[in-house]
Formats: sequence, C-alpha cells, structure tokens
Amino acid sequence: MPDIGTWVAALLTLFAFSFLYKDNPLFRFTESLFAGVSLGYYVGTTLNQTLVPNLIKPLTHDFNQNWDLLVPGLLGLLLYMRYVPKTGWVARYALGIYVAYYIGLDFTRRIHGEVLPQLGRAIVPLSHLDGHTIFYSLIFAIGVFSVLIYFFFSKEQDQFTRRIARVGIWFLMVSFGAAFGFTVMGRVALLIGRLNFLILDWIYPLIGIR
Amino acid sequence: MARFFDKLLNLDRRWLFLLVFLGVAVPIILPIGLPVTTTGPTRSAFEYIEALKPGDYVIISFDYGPSSAPENDPMAEGIMRQCFLKKIRVVVIVLYQLGGLQLASNSVAKVSAEFPNLKYGVDYVNLGYKDGAAAVMKRMGDDIAGAFPTDVRGTPLSQIPIMKGLRSLRQVSVVVTVATGLIGEYWITQAHQQSGVPVIVGPTAVGAPKYYAYLNAGQLVGMLGGMKGAAEYEKLLAARYPELGRFYKTTRAFTATKGMDAQTVIHFVIILFILIGNIAFMSRRAAQKKA
Repeated sequence: MPDIGTWVAALLTLFAFSFLYKDNPLFRFTESLFAGVSLGYYVGTTLNQTLVPNLIKPLTHDFNQNWDLLVPGLLGLLLYMRYVPKTGWVARYALGIYVAYYIGLDFTRRIHGEVLPQLGRAIVPLSHLDGHTIFYSLIFAIGVFSVLIYFFFSKEQDQFTRRIARVGIWFLMVSFGAAFGFTVMGRVALLIGRLNFLILDWIYPLIGIR
Repeated sequence: MARFFDKLLNLDRRWLFLLVFLGVAVPIILPIGLPVTTTGPTRSAFEYIEALKPGDYVIISFDYGPSSAPENDPMAEGIMRQCFLKKIRVVVIVLYQLGGLQLASNSVAKVSAEFPNLKYGVDYVNLGYKDGAAAVMKRMGDDIAGAFPTDVRGTPLSQIPIMKGLRSLRQVSVVVTVATGLIGEYWITQAHQQSGVPVIVGPTAVGAPKYYAYLNAGQLVGMLGGMKGAAEYEKLLAARYPELGRFYKTTRAFTATKGMDAQTVIHFVIILFILIGNIAFMSRRAAQKKA
C-alpha cells in the first residue's frame, strides 16, 4: 500500500489536473495550498540555510571578527520598515543599495559574460577554417547581421534594408520554432514525471503490482 | 468532408487533453524501449568529465526545483554516478530556492547509497542552499567558505576533509549546473568569466535554446538539453560502464531513457494534431472562398 505522503501527493496532483476539465474548488484549494507551502518553504530554507549560518552564527559566535556583518544585517532589516507607514521611507536606502549592487554586478556580467564573448564568436578569421566551418560561420554572420538590421529602429527602413530585415525575420522564425519545440518537450517531460509518479508509485502499489 | 473538418475545428479541446494523457500513460505502462541517439554537446560534457582524474573537484549545482525534476534529476544523478565511479570529489550546492535543497539531498542520498564505499565529507559533500545566486557565485570566485561557512548539516567547512584543499572556484575542474531559469546563465556569464572555471549546463528543454549561443561561443564545455540530453547521458554512461548499463536496465526508478518513450509517442501525436488542424483550416478556407 502507498504511504500517506504518496496519497496526499497523488490526490493533489489529480486536483491540479482537474482544471483541465473545468475550474473547480478542488483545483483552487490545491493552487492556494501550493502557493502557501512554497512561501513557507522559502522562508524556512532561507532562514536555516542562509541567515543562520551566514549572519546570526558568525555574529553570536565571534562578534569581533564578524562585526561588519551588522551592516548587511541592518540593511536587510531596514527593508521591512516599509510596513511602518511613518518611517517607510527608510526602506528606500536599503533598496537603493541592493539595486545598486546588482546593477553593478549585472553590468559587468552582461558585458564580459555575454556581449564580448558573443561578439568575439561572431568575428572569426575565415582563412584558417575548413569549408564546412566557413559555410556555418557565414550563415551565422548573415543571421546576426540581418536580425540586427530588423531590430534597428533609429532610421526608417528603405527598400534595401527591408529585404535584409526580411531575412532576419526568417532567422527569428526558425529560432522561435526551435524554442517552441523545446518548450513542448519540456512541458511533456513534466507530464511524464507526474504520470510516472501516479502510475508507478501510487496505482501499481495500490493494486498490488510491484 | 467540409462538415467533418468543421467538426474537427470546433472539437472540444478536452478530447485532445485525453489523447495527450493516453499518449503519455500508455508508454509508461507498456514501455517500448525506443533507441536514443547522442548529440555533440552531450558527448562533450561526458568526455570532459571522463578526462578528469581521481581527486579532482566537481561542483554540482542544483539550480532547479520539483517543477522540472523529471528532466533535471536524471542529469544530476547520472553525472554524480560518473564522478563517484571515477573517484572524483563532488561538492553539491543549491542556488534555487523552491525545493532545490530537498531534491539535492534526495539525489545525494539516493546515489551515495549505490556507492557504500564512499564517505560523506571525504569523497562528497552537500553544502546546502544559499540565497542570492549571483552574489554567492561572486563570493565563491574568491572564497568558497565565505559563501558557504558550513555544510547542509551545519558542520564548519574547516572540519570537513574534502574542503581542506578547496578554497575558490579556480581550483574546481568543472561546475555542472543543472538548471532552470536564470541561474545556469549566471554560472556562464559570471562565474566562468570571473574565475575561468569550465561550465557544463543541464537546462530544462524550455531553457535549452538560449544555451546554444554560449555553447557556440565556447563558454560551455557541454550541455544536456532537457530530458533528451539526460537520456543521451544515460546511454553514454551505460555504454562506458557495464555496471551502470545493468543499473539503468533493471532499476524500477524513473530514468530519462524510460521517459523518452512517452516523449517520442507524444511528439508523434502533437505532429498529427498540427497536420490535421492545418488541413482542416485550409479546407475550410478553400470552401469559404468557393462560396
């Protein structure tokens, strides 16, 4: 016989699937339960795995070595001041620092991790390459160029650039098609996972199949 | 005929849901065992790990949750098995908030039970979850213990033998990010660019297309795209290691290879839907033009 956890998971899965027939209270119950449990899980995990070992323990065990952690700790607390109407403005300072940190981090990440390496790949010397790679690189270069032209909105397109943009649209369509195919595969994989659970872990033990 | 196509175009979509359900359920109940072919990005990932030496460090980052576990679990577990067989030291971390920690703990417990000679803290370790993925990677580039002062059980890193020789990401042979959402990208665009650590990504199928650009630019050493990528990896493992071949053939647990039967059947069903839908649509349009 399946254990109680399997029963709960199986019934909640069926409640979630019931939406495919039509909206109903069981689905809405499952949806709300999922949202609530997810939030509770997130708070609990962050407290146990991040706040306690990275902030509270270092401060309580060795304050002299870790006093600087008071600064991020205090900034974190300030974020909650927004719930006190009179002093809500204080939260903006903490939010400002938080946003500034991630802008700085993201800015360098985008430039050094995305723009420059991708640009470098788009500009390759063809002299050392074999025929297949040259062909592949040319297709790649045409794709990049035509899509860039399609997204160039600072000047009205004339007859010539409109034709190049048209090629860009074809490249985009191929990429959207690939993305859609992968998306279908991904969603089906989730269904496979759920049905696999329902059949192998719930129904089979229930009817005595091992 | 026009009436038939009209009926088809107005068919209640719940009939399609039922067909999709059957298309997935039947191959689970009656497995077909369809062949899986391997692709370049998966082979590159496999061979890269194969070339590592015993004692090298591999970080497996569980950057996904239960919503994509059927795709990502087989990848993480397959790579863990390969590392354990090769005596590569595995450091597990979690950067995805919703359920990632539970999945990582489950996978570590499941795979380590298959290798009873390996010891927690000596051959592998689970450092647990940390919030703020990008900031955590930034810190790990200089000081892993700064980002993860303890393991998942609360033991300080200084007391864990496997962590004694590992200070920063620069000493890690490869990071395997099994990812949904943005965290896989952070590993490539931030950790790889900052510290030069090689990265293998195991994204969900939904996320896979965007990683081809990184693969093409040489920022990735390999990729396992969705359930198909995981099934390819299982095939490569089974071919290289007979004990894993036997395991994947006989296990009752879910594997990506088993899932690919249902994937193939359902893709066939969806292609059929698209064809019938388009034929019906074009026939109706032709009939309307005539009228």
